[in-house]
Amino acid sequence: MSLLAPAALGLLALSIPLVVLYMLRSRRQRLVVSSVRLWEGEEEYVSAALPWQRLKITAALLLQLLTLAAFALLLARPFYQEATPLGPHTVVVIDTSGSMALAGRLEAAKSEARSLVVDVSEAQLVSLIEAGPRARVLAAFARDPNELRSQIDALVVSGGVEDLDGALRLARGLATPDRATSILLLTDGGIEGMVAEPIGNARHLLFDDVEDNVAITAFGAGAPGEGVARLFLEVTSFSASSTTAEVETRVDGLQVGTTSIRLEPGQRAQRYVPVDAGPGQVVEAEILANSDGNPLDDEAAAVLGANTYLTIAVMGEGSPFLDALVASLSGFGPAAGTSPDLVIRDGGSAAEVDRPTWLIAPVEPPPGVTITGRLENPVVTYQRSGEPLLDGLDLSELMIAEADIVQARGWLPLVQAGDVPLVLLGEVAGHRVVYFTFDLVRSNLPLQVSFPILGARIIEWLGGGQVSTAATAIAGAPIPLAPPAGSRTQITMPDGGKRELDGNVIEFLDTGQPGIYTVAYVAEDGATTGGFVAARQFAAAEAAGSSRRIATVSDEVGELEETTLLREWAPLILALILGLVLIEWWVAFGRPLPRFRKAEA
Amino acid sequence: MLLDAELRGRLERLALIGTRRVRGVWSGRHRSVRLGESLDFADYREYHPGDDFRRIDYNLWARLGVVLVRLFEAEDEMPLRVVIDTSASMGFGEKFETARRLAAMIAYLGLASGERVRLVTVPAPGRPALQGPWARHIGAWRRLESWLEGLEPEGGTDLPAAARMMAAPGAHRGPVVLVSDLLAPGWEQAVDLLGTVGGGVVVHVLSPAELDPDFTGDLTLRDAETKAEVPVSVSDAAVARYRQRMDAFQADAARRARRVRMEYIRVLARPEALEGALRELVAAGVVR
Repeated sequence: MSLLAPAALGLLALSIPLVVLYMLRSRRQRLVVSSVRLWEGEEEYVSAALPWQRLKITAALLLQLLTLAAFALLLARPFYQEATPLGPHTVVVIDTSGSMALAGRLEAAKSEARSLVVDVSEAQLVSLIEAGPRARVLAAFARDPNELRSQIDALVVSGGVEDLDGALRLARGLATPDRATSILLLTDGGIEGMVAEPIGNARHLLFDDVEDNVAITAFGAGAPGEGVARLFLEVTSFSASSTTAEVETRVDGLQVGTTSIRLEPGQRAQRYVPVDAGPGQVVEAEILANSDGNPLDDEAAAVLGANTYLTIAVMGEGSPFLDALVASLSGFGPAAGTSPDLVIRDGGSAAEVDRPTWLIAPVEPPPGVTITGRLENPVVTYQRSGEPLLDGLDLSELMIAEADIVQARGWLPLVQAGDVPLVLLGEVAGHRVVYFTFDLVRSNLPLQVSFPILGARIIEWLGGGQVSTAATAIAGAPIPLAPPAGSRTQITMPDGGKRELDGNVIEFLDTGQPGIYTVAYVAEDGATTGGFVAARQFAAAEAAGSSRRIATVSDEVGELEETTLLREWAPLILALILGLVLIEWWVAFGRPLPRFRKAEA
Repeated sequence: MLLDAELRGRLERLALIGTRRVRGVWSGRHRSVRLGESLDFADYREYHPGDDFRRIDYNLWARLGVVLVRLFEAEDEMPLRVVIDTSASMGFGEKFETARRLAAMIAYLGLASGERVRLVTVPAPGRPALQGPWARHIGAWRRLESWLEGLEPEGGTDLPAAARMMAAPGAHRGPVVLVSDLLAPGWEQAVDLLGTVGGGVVVHVLSPAELDPDFTGDLTLRDAETKAEVPVSVSDAAVARYRQRMDAFQADAARRARRVRMEYIRVLARPEALEGALRELVAAGVVR
């Protein structure tokens, strides 16, 4: 134990006069009585000549000496050192992605964060960043523990993928040259490759608790019939034991069927469920009676597409799979001689792109892309996480005979075999382009259950979101708004909460909750002038609850771990003094309890 | 006014009872230690020249041939002396006021009974006692009352000296009423001596605060008379022991008084003390 003000121990010298006071003969009060004859025998024989008496160690003296010592110790401010991750400026990044809902990871992270911010001293600053689907700064350069605690308490798990990169960019943006800034990551680590590692000036507190989990990992509309939609449903077990998932399907909140799916540990089951629903209706699926580690991924919702119609032309070699895909999409249809809205170019030249196009192994690549060779039997090694087009789809079993090796600067690779991209997104002459570097018919992709979903999403994306078989997206994806002039936007959240937005807001960003968002445009006179329903789904990649340790730079972390916090013993000593005073009072004057009992007796 | 009219009226209907022979100057209603002229035969003795011929028992002279004269009892007035303690210890609480009124009540009783009454104070050591005048008639009451009202509690107490003064040979021999707190050295000797004088009553006056002390803590108690100091830690236990000693003191005083054939009554110094004392005097047969 060290002392901040050791000079205060000099107060212990007061114990000398205190002892002297006890050695001085007390001056008794003189009282005249009629006679002292009957008090004889009670007299205390003391020598009146000496002002001193022999020191008698009494309980009162001991208590007073102890109190004096405790008081001197209190003023000397004893303290001990405690290691704390807080530095001069600490940016705390808290992951609120869907996987943090598993086994109470977020609550543990919040608890850790709360315990840290309690220790914020005058010399320390703390910034708080939420790493949800959209990273955002909750508090910057704060030193008020109450403010920080309230921000931490308000955090809830979203259904989306964490934007850890964005959060780290925000964290680095908060760094100031005059103050050493460190980053504290409270996360389960997210998905491999999410951030460029190692991260400097950072420390990662890993939250990797796991529990059994059964999740809906994909949900969307399949090929429609006449007034009948086919829902694609994928349920995955992340449990260690076999289980049966009872999945209830609903249309506009009314139950229309139940599907029972038997799942072995780690198994993924896919089903097509026909439902009698049309465009604009809300379809939902929910795993019933599922008390697993993550309740957020037990539900999924989608909105069937509207009646907008776009034409698609399949050019080049084509294939029955593509024809069937186009025919299955609601709101899309083959072009009949007129200029198509979208093009699927299977082989051939892609030198000229004048509309949104899906390129499939073109002989001549589009501008900006160079074919440098061919790769036989590529194996999928990378699938971009958090990508809406791939959400819930597993392409690990994709087998390809041959793929072009391309160099595409500025294109976004979605699927790769090593360094060779297999699927890319890009833009040519202002038009959206999806580029498959392999021939569909020389792969098993058309035979996979996920092909209709992937194809539908690609075509929906190329169509600019104007038409979709099932208007849905991952939680966190913004909802585009188009309020009429003079109207404001009213949004009903999945939990029933209401949000009011001005008429000039064209995007609603707070879509972390999975579920149905009802958008209504309200005129100034209160009349509803339009609106729509949007669905946001739990990100399938988060359902697995995978965790990993993020690498950080060691030397900086070493310095960080040396940071210590001075904690004083004052509260404990104050309690001790109070206790001593009470005991002294009880001993010297009161002893009320025994006397009271005696009186009662 | 020490006694109100109502009390005086009640006292006038009562009378002091003498239980022992007295010796007074004037004849009265009480049997004297002397022989005298009453009708009660007492004894014979040989004739001496000068004896009254009328007292010669001629029958005995004729039968025995010896000249004897008949002796008769004498009846004297009862000289009542009320000794009041005026020491400083009596100045606590209402002790002295109570003692003064008690002395007044007994003196008035004596006057109302036609006895000769005298009020005397207990002298301080080395100093003479104050003695009031002898009074025999109710008309002298005002004089006694004013004498009593002139007394103040101060100084020490020499109870044996007072007792010796009462027992000194003289013309008067009768009951003595001692009104005192007895908180003085030699009280035992004084009571013993008074018992030889002619009986009487020991009126032990104590204040309630003396029976139940209301002070606690470390104190130096100082004696109001002797100025002696005693350092005491007055605790609950010490007070309990004090009470035991006080009880023993009262019991000892009563036992010692009765041993010398004196009555003992204890009076607490309170406003209603006279009523209680009168009841006790009646119960003891001193007053009827």
